[in-house]
Amino acid sequence: MTDAAVEIIGITKKFGPLTALAGIDLQIGAGEFVSLLGASGCGKSTLLRIIAGFETASAGAVRIYGEDVTRRPPERRPTNLVFQRGALFPHMSVAENIGYALRLRGWDRRRLSGRVEEMLALVRLEGLGARLPSQLSGGQAQRVALARALAGEPRVLLLDEPLSALDFKLRQQMQLELRSIQRRLGATFVFVTHDQTEALVMSDRIAIMNRGQIVQVGSPREIYRRPATAFVSDFVGATNLLAGVVAETDGDVLRLDTPSGPYLVRLTGSAPARGAPAALSLRPESIRISRDFSPPSGRGVTGTIADIVYQGAATRVGAQIVGGQILWADLRDDEAEGLAPGDTVTLHWAENAATLVQEDPG
Amino acid sequence: MGGPMSSRVWAIGFVALALIWLYVPILVIVLFSFTTSPRLSLPIEGVTLEWYGKALSDPLMTTALANSLTLAAVTATVAGLLGAAFAFGLVALKRQRLRTGLLAASVLPAIVPLLVIGIALAVFFRGLGMPQGMFNAAMGHILVCMPFVILTMNARLETFDFSVLDAARDLGASPYQAFRDITFPLIRPSVLGSALLAAALSLDEFVVTWFNIGNRLTVPVLVWGWMRRGVDPSINAIATLLLSLLIALVLTAGLLTQKKKP
Repeated sequence: MTDAAVEIIGITKKFGPLTALAGIDLQIGAGEFVSLLGASGCGKSTLLRIIAGFETASAGAVRIYGEDVTRRPPERRPTNLVFQRGALFPHMSVAENIGYALRLRGWDRRRLSGRVEEMLALVRLEGLGARLPSQLSGGQAQRVALARALAGEPRVLLLDEPLSALDFKLRQQMQLELRSIQRRLGATFVFVTHDQTEALVMSDRIAIMNRGQIVQVGSPREIYRRPATAFVSDFVGATNLLAGVVAETDGDVLRLDTPSGPYLVRLTGSAPARGAPAALSLRPESIRISRDFSPPSGRGVTGTIADIVYQGAATRVGAQIVGGQILWADLRDDEAEGLAPGDTVTLHWAENAATLVQEDPG
Repeated sequence: MGGPMSSRVWAIGFVALALIWLYVPILVIVLFSFTTSPRLSLPIEGVTLEWYGKALSDPLMTTALANSLTLAAVTATVAGLLGAAFAFGLVALKRQRLRTGLLAASVLPAIVPLLVIGIALAVFFRGLGMPQGMFNAAMGHILVCMPFVILTMNARLETFDFSVLDAARDLGASPYQAFRDITFPLIRPSVLGSALLAAALSLDEFVVTWFNIGNRLTVPVLVWGWMRRGVDPSINAIATLLLSLLIALVLTAGLLTQKKKP
């Protein structure tokens, strides 16, 4: 693959007896925005620091545009990192911070200040070049950190949860801004986050990590609509999991036997063996609730309403099904009207709403 | 008679007494360094700078002062640099227990009696066949001051954000450039401040000096000798000079090492 910006080949990282990363393989294309998404401790930051050169892999290799950089120190890699809390140099002005990489390269003053102005404009902080980092708000500081990392035109920009310290509204705004900057520059971004919404909003592709492994790589839509494992479906968005055992496969339709009855699901990948444990993943927004409706067999279940939670945009209704599990459905206001706890209802879903997910490895 | 009111009066009275106890002897010395009467007596007869002139024109005193300032300068430089490097290394350690252990070990000499340190050093140098003198005294001063430098630096460095060093490396700085551009400018005020503190401690060090300096003089050693012949008002002048110098050093050190407001 010639147009891969970053190739991660069999990267393993051990801290003493602990395995932080277990043989990671990942290719990131030039100009791509890839998120490494996972809970804290899944190894995503360690992987980023290995790409940046701050950690040494126990095994495996990192190539950037075909060049093996595995043994190189951070200052000799064509990557720049945006740190979680900015890590701005407190004794330097905003302009000096942004120009630092260029100063090290010996740019003359005029060329350097021109570039700094350009970067300030890019992150919409014109006129703040003389400020000290202590005089910036959290959002401004992260913008300066971004400008500083981009000033030297890295071939790959690495971002380590740069928005996690910001408040909700500002974070949403910065997500869109980051995305548009990345598109405008056509740069390659590798973005680490534990926030699934953030990853869905910004990424071309998402790599979901769990316990030192990548469990699924795909576009936000693929990840959300077709999660590969129970972990992914649960981690990205809310989901209902109906665990069971594979009963039989007829063409591309599979029957899953569960405590609440058999369900049919259309296969998207290869069929798991009969008797294998698997689960049905159903997004709350894809479940409908009716009082008197008998759904096609294998795509519905009877339940008793246990809880109704008003959430503004949607109303989340929980219904207890056979076996005691509660299925959650997100309904519009008018759909939820007239429902009350204790009502017996039918929960049902469209043919393509259910996804078969496998047990997680390890 | 309100209970809270009277207990408040008691509290104020107690604090006032404690302060008088702490400061009056010092104020007396400062006051009498400026009076014409050679004895500590009131009322004050007249005001003079004669004792300062007398003290500073004494050739022994000028030698002692020169030695003291030399020792202070050497101590400040060596203890400041070594202590700062040590503290920086400590804070960078990832293993918490090793860090606290090393910190405790390095600070321990601060609570060993000076008498013990003084004698131990004297015996040690004698064992090495090194005659008493300025070098031995300087080694003693460095030893005595280092724990305080390490403590001050450590307190200041606890809040040091090491990710700025990673950031510098990431932006293309070699380890040396990162130190020159980032680390050093950031820790410079703290290093300077703790060096001044070391200078202050060195200036009035007596016990360790006494056991190791041989027949050379520092200001405290000389004053101690004079005191055995009775209190000359020029001693008040010397004490006042020393006091002003120490206050200036400690205040500057405090200003330099104080934590910046977030």
